[in-house]
Amino acid sequence: MSASDYAIPPSVETLYCDHHGWLQTWLLRRLNNAADAADLAHDAFLRLILKPAPRGFDSFGEARGYLRAMARDMCINLWHRREIEQAWLETLAGRPQEHAPSAERQAMVLEALHEIGAMLLDLSPKAARAFLLAAVCQMSDREVAEVLGVSDRMVRKYVSQGMLRCMRLQARQTAGELMAGGPGW
Amino acid sequence: MSLALPHAGPVGTADAQEPPHEAMEQAADWYALLRSGVATDGDRLEWSRWLERDADHRHAWSYVEAVSRSFEPLQATQAPQATADGLWAANQRVLQRRRLLAGIALFGGSGLLGWATWRHTPLPLMAQAWRADHRTATGEIREVVLADGSRVWLNTATAFNLDYGADARRLQLLAGEILVETAHEAGRPFFVHTPQGRLQALGTRFTVRLDGEETLLAVYQGAVEVRTAEGAASAVIKAGRQIRFGRDALGAQAPADIAREAWSRGVLAANNVPLSEVVGELRRYRHGHLGLAPEVAGLRVFGSFPLHDTDEALKLLAYALPIQVRRTLPWWVSIEAVATGEKAGKAADKAAGKAGS
Repeated sequence: MSASDYAIPPSVETLYCDHHGWLQTWLLRRLNNAADAADLAHDAFLRLILKPAPRGFDSFGEARGYLRAMARDMCINLWHRREIEQAWLETLAGRPQEHAPSAERQAMVLEALHEIGAMLLDLSPKAARAFLLAAVCQMSDREVAEVLGVSDRMVRKYVSQGMLRCMRLQARQTAGELMAGGPGW
Repeated sequence: MSLALPHAGPVGTADAQEPPHEAMEQAADWYALLRSGVATDGDRLEWSRWLERDADHRHAWSYVEAVSRSFEPLQATQAPQATADGLWAANQRVLQRRRLLAGIALFGGSGLLGWATWRHTPLPLMAQAWRADHRTATGEIREVVLADGSRVWLNTATAFNLDYGADARRLQLLAGEILVETAHEAGRPFFVHTPQGRLQALGTRFTVRLDGEETLLAVYQGAVEVRTAEGAASAVIKAGRQIRFGRDALGAQAPADIAREAWSRGVLAANNVPLSEVVGELRRYRHGHLGLAPEVAGLRVFGSFPLHDTDEALKLLAYALPIQVRRTLPWWVSIEAVATGEKAGKAADKAAGKAGS
């Protein structure tokens, strides 16, 4: 099976028959939750329909590789969203009830948290922390330096690194969206 | 110092390419310096020169602005530091699990970008706007002459598609606002389509603006027939009238605001309107945050203001009204009441501003 090529570009139905069962099992082993695994497997094929792979698939193995990469990102995304939501709920729980923001406001904050959290994942932990304190808390370099116990110079470097990282993701994202039907990843 | 970035937005086709790495690095360094708490006026001047020197610099800077904007909701939370720390801790936990996942199934190449992009797939309409036939960036106003001699002015951040067929001329407005002056052609009607409905020009000059879930139509010459997308309510709007409508219902008609047309000449005309409305309009032409303190939001404004240079417009406002314009960062501008009573009462008796260009 691993060497089999698709004679014609496979339809989503073909891909579904060939890979859905495998994908769901793959997800289940990592998520330990049948409902989540079923949801993500479903989402993966939905995504293939909405945004097909740019060059199609020539072989069974290629399709599987593509789906595996997609599934891996979906797992991380799911964990990330849950971790971030959990952290935000804990932050809220630490505040007096009467100051709780509106539901709409909360949704906005959560969305921003997801977006920024995603952009910062690949930074070193220290750089990510410095950048967050600077950009979210609007602390000066001096103040951040005191919290982290590093030099002002280092903070400046971290902030610049963090910003550059976010800018490049944003730029690639824009470019990806500009290419009609281009790959999401 | 030019703080508005007229063509810097990452929206045009020319901008599809990422700016050179060097420009991106420099922009990030400038950001780090300007917000460090130790930036001098000299630094800011040098930054503005850097910005002016090269289109790549401005393009790179537009990404600094875009990223900064995504932080705004978090800055406004009750406990920004707790929020930031919570986010940081969540990221660390996810990183651990990601390493674990990589251990189970070693797979290179896909990376983070994938799902970041996926998560932020823009509204379909926005994606459409990027590929539209005609488009303007934030702060840009442009006129186009169509094949039949009809003229269309595009206001800031506007996009439309054209479909000229044998039986009809169709314009699909995707974003923003247009002023249309149709050329008459027997047997080939001119339609404007918006998500809320269809407009048929009956030999005319009119503006169409997408405003959230509504379309705002103002007619200056001739007449326009409106038909809503659902419910098929329809009406003929005559010259000098305007109407707001949604997908299934027409709003009440009102006298057309003559000032609404002035943008096609690059002018924002205000005739006894609250400052909040003027600032709301100016925001459409600027990147970045433009805040307005509630205590000055109700001040009445008279006068004309240049739309191609919104910094100049703010200066004119500050000259005429008891307000001050504060720039915390180049893309973070707030309008506040002046602290002293020295300018008090000025607003009431003085007409604001001189005529724009």
